[in-house]
Order: sequence, then structure tokens, then C-alpha cells
Amino acid sequence: MFIALSPSNPDPMYKQVTDQIKNAIASGDLKPGEKLPSVRELAEGLKISAITIKRAYLDLENEGYILTRAGLGSFVSEIDRERLRQEKLAEYRAALSGILATGAKFGIKADDLVRVIREIQEN
Amino acid sequence: MTPVLEAKNLTKRYHDFTLKDVSVEIPAGSITAFFGPTGAGKTTLMKLLTRQIPATSGTVRVFGLAYDGREREIKSRIGYVPQEPVCYRDRSVEFNARFAASFYERWDGGAFYRMLDEFRVSREKAVKRLSRGQKTLFAIALAFSHEADLLVLDEPTAGLDAILRRAVLERLRKFVADGERTVIVSSHITDGLEDIAEYVNFLSEGRLVFQAEKDELLARWKRIHYRDGALPPDLVRQLADVRLQPFGSSGLTRDFSALRERLAPGIAAGDVKVENARLDDILIAMHQGE
Repeated sequence: MFIALSPSNPDPMYKQVTDQIKNAIASGDLKPGEKLPSVRELAEGLKISAITIKRAYLDLENEGYILTRAGLGSFVSEIDRERLRQEKLAEYRAALSGILATGAKFGIKADDLVRVIREIQEN
Repeated sequence: MTPVLEAKNLTKRYHDFTLKDVSVEIPAGSITAFFGPTGAGKTTLMKLLTRQIPATSGTVRVFGLAYDGREREIKSRIGYVPQEPVCYRDRSVEFNARFAASFYERWDGGAFYRMLDEFRVSREKAVKRLSRGQKTLFAIALAFSHEADLLVLDEPTAGLDAILRRAVLERLRKFVADGERTVIVSSHITDGLEDIAEYVNFLSEGRLVFQAEKDELLARWKRIHYRDGALPPDLVRQLADVRLQPFGSSGLTRDFSALRERLAPGIAAGDVKVENARLDDILIAMHQGE
């Protein structure tokens, strides 16, 4: 698992952790049933407080990405791929509307962007 | 452009410490910071630059003039803030201010008292009853109140809380804003100073180990986070201050533009992330690389 935290990232630390664990699950880097590092291990490895990791794990659990079993640790849940896809799509929608708005200032239209995406795909 | 201050091969020998062969040019209209660990020689250098003490060898020219024969003239144009203000400790702030003012050709008492009020330093209190931070603020107010062209401050932010520290830094930034006046400042921390300094110097064990333009330094140095195995070993070997961690390691590169292309695939794959390095991380890495 690869997690890089940045103090200059506007997202709070716990969210940076949850986002990157979600990405690792989505990419298959973390597999369903796989055991996550303990709160203490991850806090030590990332040099941040255990409370931040606890909060991140709690959020991941509430959202159904992981399961925590008392005494055994936290494990990646069987995930609903379609749900992950939808979530990511919503993220892209937000990012793209930002790109569209910036592009509009330079006279770049949605069609232009679609063409660029096609070009990238073909290469 | 003639530098405001020019030191050549400056050496000061004490029985237990030597500041060796420091040469530096301070450009006008800028803030130049001297960083370094405790005992590196920062205070000795600040005292040499302002001729509080004579050098064993080497020369200092300020405003294009040598100190010899023109010491009083040069000093009246310098605002010097020592770590411990030299004054009558039993007497009041006001008494000491009047005493100091008598040495300066120009003196703006109104500005001095306004600054004391802003910093909440009592004018009636004996100097010895001021806290460390208040003494510094008193010295800063003095330095700002005789229309100096050059301020030299020795760890002015030590002992100040975050709000006062910001107020002092903002004063320094405004002081040089007209492009005519100049600030030289020493600090063992980079807390806030890195935002306003344009030139950074690093002292270690009595030597000036490097001088750089801050923006250039920050543009070249970046921290690279990488998934283990994502970077070729020869690239990892070039990194400084490498932190091996179980969930992704990181290290500093001193030449980001040279690595950019080689890093691109890793960045695209999400296995490599680049972020701006902190100035204190850079300073420590350069120090260790000596």
C-alpha cells in the first residue's frame, strides 16, 4: 500500500488517508478480505497521530469499505464495484466542471475537450 | 549593482570557536536570512557585520564605506537588534529609549511609542522586568525608529508568540518594500522567515556552507513520495533525506527539472507524488550532504 500525505493538501489528513485507501481498493492494490495495517502501525508508518488513523478507519467502516473485528483487526470488505465506479464518476464530474469553467475563459468548449480525450486515448 | 553590505574573508577567532572566512554580498531592497544550528556562528557574524566586535581578519563594507574612521556614520544608518539588548537594565524602557536616541542623528519618538503600544510593551517598566520576547520587541522598536537604511536582527522571532512573530515579520517585509532599504536576519528556525526572505544562507560550525536565492532553491528541490520499487535504484540513490516507510518512502531531489521526465510514468500510475519541499528540510539535507 502506498500513501503519501501532504500538509499543503487542503483536505484534512484523515480524508487524505481514506481517499488513498479507497483508491487502493478500487485499483485492486488492496483486495477484499485483505487485512489492513493496525491503527498503531499505520500511524507509526505515516508519522501522524493514531487518532487521525482511527477517524479514517471509522469513516471507511461507516461507508462500508472495511470491516473491523474486535481483536482481529480491520479487513477490506467485499466491495460493490459499481458503487466505487459511481463514486469516482461523481468525482470526475466535479473535476470536469471545474476544467470546463476554466476552459471557457480561454474559449475552449466541451467539444474541444472531448476531442482531446479521444486523441489521448488513441495514442 | 553595488551591494548594501559586502563582507570579504571575514574571520573571528575565539579560544573555543572560530568563524572562518565568510564572504557575502547583501543586495539592497531585500531580506537576507542566515540560518544554522545553535553555535554555528550566527550571532558572531551579525556582530561582525555591524561592528559590535572587530574581526580578526577580513573586511566589511557597508553602504560602500569601510568602518574604519566612519563607524559612527555607518552605525547611525543601521538598526541592530541583538539577542540581549545592551542597556541600563534597572532603568525604564523610556529612559533607555531616550538614551539610545541621543546616539542617532535621526529619531522618530512617535513611531517608537506607537510600535511599543502595538507590541504591548510598557514604557514605564524596568528593562530587566520585561520577558525575553518583550525585550526583543523593545529592541526592534528602537531599530525601526531612527530611519535606518539597514536592519540587522539576531534571532528576532525567538521568544515571540505566533501573533507577535507575524507582526514582526510583516514589519520587516514592509520595511524593504520600497526596494531601497535592506534587512539581514538570523534564525535557527525557519518558522515564518522563509516566506519573506529572498536570499538564504546557511552557517554550520563557523563556516558559511551555502548561499542561495530562495525561490530558485524551492523550485529545484522537491520531495518525492514513491511506492517501493516504483523508482529505479540509481534514481533513489540520488535522493537526499530519504525516509523509508512501510506505506511509501520519500526523499528530496536537488534537481527536479532533470528528473521530471523519468518520473512522469510513475506519476501517471499514481505510484509517485511530488510536493514542494520545506525550506528546513532542504537546509538540513544540504547540511548533511556536506
